[in-house]
Amino acid sequence: MSALDTVLAAVGEGRIQGGWQYVKAAYAICWTGLSLYALSLFIRSRRTEEGK
Amino acid sequence: MDARMRRGLEIVAVLAVACIFGYAAWVGLAVAPPDREMGDVQRIMYAHVPMVQMMLLAGTILFVCSVLYLFRASWKTDALAEASAELALVFGAIGTTLGAIWGRPTWGVFWAWDPRLTTVAILLVALAGYMALRRFVDDPERRAVWAAVTAIVIAVDVPIIYFSVKWWKSLHQVQSNPRTVDPQMVHALRWNITAFFLLFIVFLVARYRIALAARMREITVPEAGPHAREAVAS
Repeated sequence: MSALDTVLAAVGEGRIQGGWQYVKAAYAICWTGLSLYALSLFIRSRRTEEGK
Repeated sequence: MDARMRRGLEIVAVLAVACIFGYAAWVGLAVAPPDREMGDVQRIMYAHVPMVQMMLLAGTILFVCSVLYLFRASWKTDALAEASAELALVFGAIGTTLGAIWGRPTWGVFWAWDPRLTTVAILLVALAGYMALRRFVDDPERRAVWAAVTAIVIAVDVPIIYFSVKWWKSLHQVQSNPRTVDPQMVHALRWNITAFFLLFIVFLVARYRIALAARMREITVPEAGPHAREAVAS
C-alpha cells in the first residue's frame, strides 16, 4: 500500500452532512458587513456634499 | 450632464448591481450543486472567493496609484490609493471571516497559521496601519508621499498571497480550475465574481469622491491644511 493509499484510506469517502448553519452565518456576515459599509459611504458622501 | 441626471444614473446603476447581486446569490445558494465531499458548506465559496479576489484587486490598484503618485504627484491618484486601501481592508476582513467559517466544518478549526492565511493576516494588519498613518500626518503632501512609500512595501504581500498556495503546499487548497469542476459551479462562481466586481466599482467610485473632496477641502480651505495654518499664524 502506497503512502497516498494510506492517506486516502484514512480520509474515507464521506460527505459533510448539513452545514447550512455555516452557510447562513457566512452570507449573513457578508451581506451585513457590505451593507454597513455602503451605509457608511452614503453618510460620508452626504456630509461631503453638505460641506461643499 | 446636470446633477439631477447624474443622480438618476447613479440610482439606476445601484439598482442594476443589486439585481445582479441577488441573481448571483440565488445561483450560488440554490442552483449550483453541492460539492462531492464538502456538501452544501462549499456554497460559502461563492462569497469567499470573490471577496478575496476584490481584496487582491484593490491591493493592486493601491500599488499602481502609489507608484504613479511618486512619479507624478496628483491628488487624484492619492485619493484613489486611499479609496482602494480602505476597500482592500473591508473586502479582505469580511472575506477572511468567511474563510474562517468555511474552515471550521472542513478543516476542523476556524484558523490555522497556514501560509495563505498568515500572509492575508499580515496584509490586513499592514492596511490598518496604512489607514492609521494617513490620519496621523496633517500635511497632505507629506502624507501622500509617506503613504505611497508604505503602500508599495505593503503591496509586495499581494503576489505572495496569490502564489502562497503554490509555493508552500499547505492546508489551504490551490486555486480551482474551471476544467476540473462542475460547469454549474463555474457558472455560479462567475456570476458572483461579476456581482462583487460591480459592487466593488460602485464602492470605489463613492470612496474616491469622498477622498478627493476631502483633499480639495484641505488644500483650498485656509483652516484645513497645516501650511495654511502656519501662514495664518505668521
